[in-house]
Amino acid sequence: MRWPGTRVASGVLAVLLVVIVVGPLVAPYDPAAPVGLPYEPPTPQALLGTDALGRDLLSRILDGGLPMLGTALAGAVAGSALGTVAGLLAAWWDGRSGRSRWVEGAVLRPLDTLAIVPPMLLVLLILTAFTGHAGLVLAVALTGVPLSARVLRAAAAPVVTRAHVEAAVARGEGPAWIVGRELLPLVAGPLVADLGIRFVAAIYVVTAAGFLGVGPSGTDWGTLIVEALPGVELAPLLLAVPVVLVALLAVSVTVLADDAVRRSRAVLA
Amino acid sequence: MIRLVAGRLATGAALLVLLSLLVFVGVDLLPGDAANARLGASATPARLAETRQRLGLDRPVLVRYADWAGGLLRGDLGTSVSGTPVSAILGGRVANSALLAGLTTILLVPISLVVGMWAGLRPGSRRDRGVAVASLLFVAAPEFVTAGLLVLVFAIGLGVLPAVSLIPPGAGPLDRPAALVLPVLALLLLHASYAVRMIRATIAATVRAPHVEFARLNGEPPRDVVRHAVLPAVLPVALQVWLLTAAALVGGTVLVERVFGYPGIGEVLVTAVRTGDLPVAQALVMVLGAGVVVALLAADVGVRLSTPTLRTAEQPAPVAFR
Repeated sequence: MRWPGTRVASGVLAVLLVVIVVGPLVAPYDPAAPVGLPYEPPTPQALLGTDALGRDLLSRILDGGLPMLGTALAGAVAGSALGTVAGLLAAWWDGRSGRSRWVEGAVLRPLDTLAIVPPMLLVLLILTAFTGHAGLVLAVALTGVPLSARVLRAAAAPVVTRAHVEAAVARGEGPAWIVGRELLPLVAGPLVADLGIRFVAAIYVVTAAGFLGVGPSGTDWGTLIVEALPGVELAPLLLAVPVVLVALLAVSVTVLADDAVRRSRAVLA
Repeated sequence: MIRLVAGRLATGAALLVLLSLLVFVGVDLLPGDAANARLGASATPARLAETRQRLGLDRPVLVRYADWAGGLLRGDLGTSVSGTPVSAILGGRVANSALLAGLTTILLVPISLVVGMWAGLRPGSRRDRGVAVASLLFVAAPEFVTAGLLVLVFAIGLGVLPAVSLIPPGAGPLDRPAALVLPVLALLLLHASYAVRMIRATIAATVRAPHVEFARLNGEPPRDVVRHAVLPAVLPVALQVWLLTAAALVGGTVLVERVFGYPGIGEVLVTAVRTGDLPVAQALVMVLGAGVVVALLAADVGVRLSTPTLRTAEQPAPVAFR
């Protein structure tokens, strides 16, 4: 008996993506402008009620999804890309020279050190020194690089000594050809699976940053959650809607990433 | 054994030195410093330069690093942007956060073992699938989201527990035990779910192992099979999972603290981030980084002690620091 989780998760994620991407276009009101009294219950005008400043909750939710998702995606891709470069470099030089493992010592060890810091702490440290959108993307990327580098090095290490790579080197192919045509196709499975895991972590970090008041926009879902806390007894819906949305997003992305990891292992085995 | 612990301590110390370099010199490469934070965006270059000189920020980064790291070694955590010593700001807050993390760990050990066994001893059964789905949900959902749901259910819906940890100044969280319930529960749902998943997987693999089948076919009662054949194989893994969870709880309480307004390090960190208070953030990263290193060290030694093949091995392979 197969658990239908993957299919359900794809469906939920597809609906959420449509809401997030189309949201800013169809939001009925300006997310920053008051449209009624504070803490109004749902009415035909404001379908989900209003927040502490009388702003329309539905408009705020529709407006905040895209910056949140974009930041998470940018951070995940950047972290995975940097990790891939570091991992491939380590696998290539240390694997082919066979003697010194200096890339591992010079690149991977310092990255391991980053991994012992609790990820949220690293994010907060970076945001203390470097506020704004770029700081958040950098923070998300840096929390992912150490693990990405390890995964990609492990995936690429057995590949770099294969015969087809030797043949390409002997033919005199350039680095771009060797990486693009000989290495990447063989580590594509782990790379995609790793990107999935990075994206799961990125969603977590970005919503958590919003929750801590340093989010990508004034209306990302983490910010909405923390704004709802003081008035939760007057308007539980203000908290319930973003909480459920973040939970759905995080769970569906996790289920799909798990599935990608399992399939990439099946390919390797 | 002593050589093992000494070696791991040396590795841990080296990691912390490397971390302090990254935290101080690495952060120095980012735009923004304490002078910026103190004066705000409207400061003139002249004022900025003057403040940098007064704070000693115009000295080379390695000189400042040596000062800072020397202070850390003497137990001096530095001075915040506002001029107060960092240790005064942290005060009892590190202890409050450690209380949350400690309570969660203590509760997590028996819960994850019992639930993991309950599910893993019958792999593929209905209860096993139920535990798998529930633990996946709680692992995937961010803990501040779980905490928000708990507030909605227990504080708003049922009205049985406080939504905010109102702890009067002077009193500790232990004087208001009701305030601890929901924060610990939120942390527990995330971290125990992770531990349950790992322990369940190990048990499910162990009950299919030949030695367990042998014991069962020999007619040993199920209780004895579990006690003599399953548990010894599972405990080293469980021990490592618990200690890694404890390491994750160091500094992992920040988000849940913020949901309930709990007076821990979370509030300090958030204020530090908002005001660009680098010294506070750097000191906290070093304190908590040291906590993580100690937990990893304990995990490494614990696994070695509880695994006979590793305990007697000539060349022990590092586990946690690999």
